[in-house]
Amino acid sequence: MIKLSITFLFTVIALLLVVLFTFLIYLFVQRQRESRFEQVRDRYLLNYSQLWYDYLFNNALFSMVLVPRGAAQVEAIERIFSSYLKNIISENVEQKIKQFANQYLKKFYEKDLSSRRWSIRMNALYRIADLQIEELLLSCQEFEKNKISDEEHFQLLKIYSLFQPDLFMEKIKNPNINYSESEYRRLFVLLEEDVFIRFFDDFNCWPTNIQFAVIDTAAVKRNMQYLDELKKLLSHDVMEINIRALKGLYEIGIIDEIDPFIPFVTSDMWEARLMVAKIFKHVPLAYTYSYLEQLLQDENWWVRSQAAKTIVEDRHGIAKLQQFIESSNDPYAIEMAQEIAARKEGSK
Amino acid sequence: MKIIDYCMMFFGGIILFYMLFVIVSYCTMFIIAMLDLRKRYRLDPSEYDDAHIDAFYSKPVSLLVPAYNEEVGVVDTVYSLLNLRYPQTEIIIINDGSTDQTLQTVIKHFRMKPINKIVQTNIPTKQIKQIYESEIYKNCILVDKENGGKADALNVGINVSQYPYFCSIDGDSILDEKSLLRVMKPIILSDGEVIAAGGNIRIANGAKMQFGSIYETQLPSNYLVIMQVIEYLRAFLMGRIALSKFNLVLIISGAFSVFSKKWAVEAGGYSTNIIGEDMELVVNIHRLIKEKKENKRIEFVPDPVCWTEAPQTLGVLRNQRRRWHQGLFESLWKHKKMTLNPRFGLIGFISFPYFWLVECLGPVVELGGYIYIVVAFFLGKIYYEVALILLLLFVIYGVIFSIAAILFESWSMNTYPKKREILRMILLAFTEIFWYRPLTLFWRCEGLVRFLRRKSDWGNMKRVGIAEKEKNI
Repeated sequence: MIKLSITFLFTVIALLLVVLFTFLIYLFVQRQRESRFEQVRDRYLLNYSQLWYDYLFNNALFSMVLVPRGAAQVEAIERIFSSYLKNIISENVEQKIKQFANQYLKKFYEKDLSSRRWSIRMNALYRIADLQIEELLLSCQEFEKNKISDEEHFQLLKIYSLFQPDLFMEKIKNPNINYSESEYRRLFVLLEEDVFIRFFDDFNCWPTNIQFAVIDTAAVKRNMQYLDELKKLLSHDVMEINIRALKGLYEIGIIDEIDPFIPFVTSDMWEARLMVAKIFKHVPLAYTYSYLEQLLQDENWWVRSQAAKTIVEDRHGIAKLQQFIESSNDPYAIEMAQEIAARKEGSK
Repeated sequence: MKIIDYCMMFFGGIILFYMLFVIVSYCTMFIIAMLDLRKRYRLDPSEYDDAHIDAFYSKPVSLLVPAYNEEVGVVDTVYSLLNLRYPQTEIIIINDGSTDQTLQTVIKHFRMKPINKIVQTNIPTKQIKQIYESEIYKNCILVDKENGGKADALNVGINVSQYPYFCSIDGDSILDEKSLLRVMKPIILSDGEVIAAGGNIRIANGAKMQFGSIYETQLPSNYLVIMQVIEYLRAFLMGRIALSKFNLVLIISGAFSVFSKKWAVEAGGYSTNIIGEDMELVVNIHRLIKEKKENKRIEFVPDPVCWTEAPQTLGVLRNQRRRWHQGLFESLWKHKKMTLNPRFGLIGFISFPYFWLVECLGPVVELGGYIYIVVAFFLGKIYYEVALILLLLFVIYGVIFSIAAILFESWSMNTYPKKREILRMILLAFTEIFWYRPLTLFWRCEGLVRFLRRKSDWGNMKRVGIAEKEKNI
């Protein structure tokens, strides 16, 4: 029995070593291949970067030598495009890149979409969106019919949002898909204003993640047309939505009336009180001081701290705080007022 | 003579059974990790990193740097934090009553000016002496406090911090500029379902650095360090990834990990009376998740995020390993009631038994295996064969797994790109069972004995300072 085990173990070890050795050989061959790939890529970069620059920026004539032959050259072109798209905003350049990609890179990505490897398909989907290869929209729709991962589906939504917003709005209603808030934000931030505002039309029908993402995106887009939409949400039944709307309004930074915010000064949620204290930064102190004084004596540390910071931002803020310190008998509020006042004076 | 025979049979049986158990569990974890990494093979990472560079997607993080007598490395660490590509951070250096020039070095280097700041005491700590703010970098704060240990320093950092997430960083860690983005990725993507995340730690010895970041990795020449490199790779492939997939991680390295402040505070912050404070916090948070019946996760990120200096001499390595093992045992012992407790789900049924059997008591059994082989050699007869089987199992466990880890890592991540380096690592892996393994086993057993004798010391590692090496290159 034991003898058998020893031979068995020897065989197992020998087999494993053979497998590992084969893997090592494969790895080295792979390295060799990679290094050849890199050589071709780098040679293309070296030879044609200047030509690309002249074509994209100096309106030089397009030369057929720029058309890629093989994956290595495609990767080189991807690098050139990605560096320009990330660092330079120019409609002309974007247009030229889009045109080139639709004409010459399309076939490469179309092939990649049918790859067995998930990562290759993902990379293709990334590129279709980045380089705006609209001509692959149909292929993408075909691709969607396969059994695909959530990540691929997300990337498809992004592509639809860029090329066919109506289709996007239809797809996002699909109740079977549920992405995180931050993922929805990544989608919404790219939408055109007229598409994005449609989310407010039947706001209550969306799942919570989309509702939150819509509010946050509206805040980031800083567009005046969302002000009224966000203000409407202040009377929503869900407190979290109220707080997000307050945050959004604070970030947009334009406050034309304070009445909608007054009820939140006495809100049960400290986060709402904190947001009001922040929003009052955008309103002259004369209109808000009485509320801020109330918030300065709040039971929550963050609210007190924010109220003091908001007061001190005003031209007469320090004087108001000094006055408060002398007249108040709330030790916590006084301590906070003293710290913020001292810091403000220190930084002058 | 008969008693000896019975003893040998008994121990031989236990050791063999244990080795088989460990080999099977490592194999399972390796396969899970392999499938996971295979999926991501060749995926363009820049797409993802860039998507989260904007403040709109990310969440602000406070970076905590506890420093006790770190005058050599602290400035480099802060620079590597300033290099991070992340939209909103604050750096909080906590001087834990250093007896060297740490405080003065930081004040001078970053032009620190005393400020008046009220600190919310979420977690009780030792007294803060003074808080400073840098005149050059407005988001950089220095807290000078009474000495209370690393855990206490981190707790002060948590109290002082103003952001919803904090990241603890060891004084000797060198980060990649995308480290924080990568480690925050699961947190951001999950909308807060992931409440703590740690990344893959690599060894910095031998790497080429400039301005606080690594630009070329090279295998160090010191054999002891190479063995540690292999050990890190193996731990990463045969442990962390698989455990993380099922939310079973009990250790995310203190060298670079992010926690939700709310949860960390609720879990009581870092425990000051225990050696492995990072593991303790993770276990406490797991406990809290189960108690509150919330759907939260602690995750390990396979991307390399942090580079750390590995001990270069046997003495320092011995101290480190002794300390680690003592810490592990202390934490497991403190939470022993979670073991096999149905209230804690898979953490109680898989994580705890795994850590008890494989990580904690493993060294005792394995060392027993080595002793068995030596004894069997003298006893002769039938024991030769048992000893040989044991030795072969050691070969699978030590050599085969190490080589597999080296090759698989090289295929999926390619940290050490040169062929010569891979071959060197493989050759060295063949020697592991003869010197490195028994040594570390012995030290870990020492840690166990120290735990039983309730001995503890600070065990601060003596550092050469990575920056020093940078100048030498």
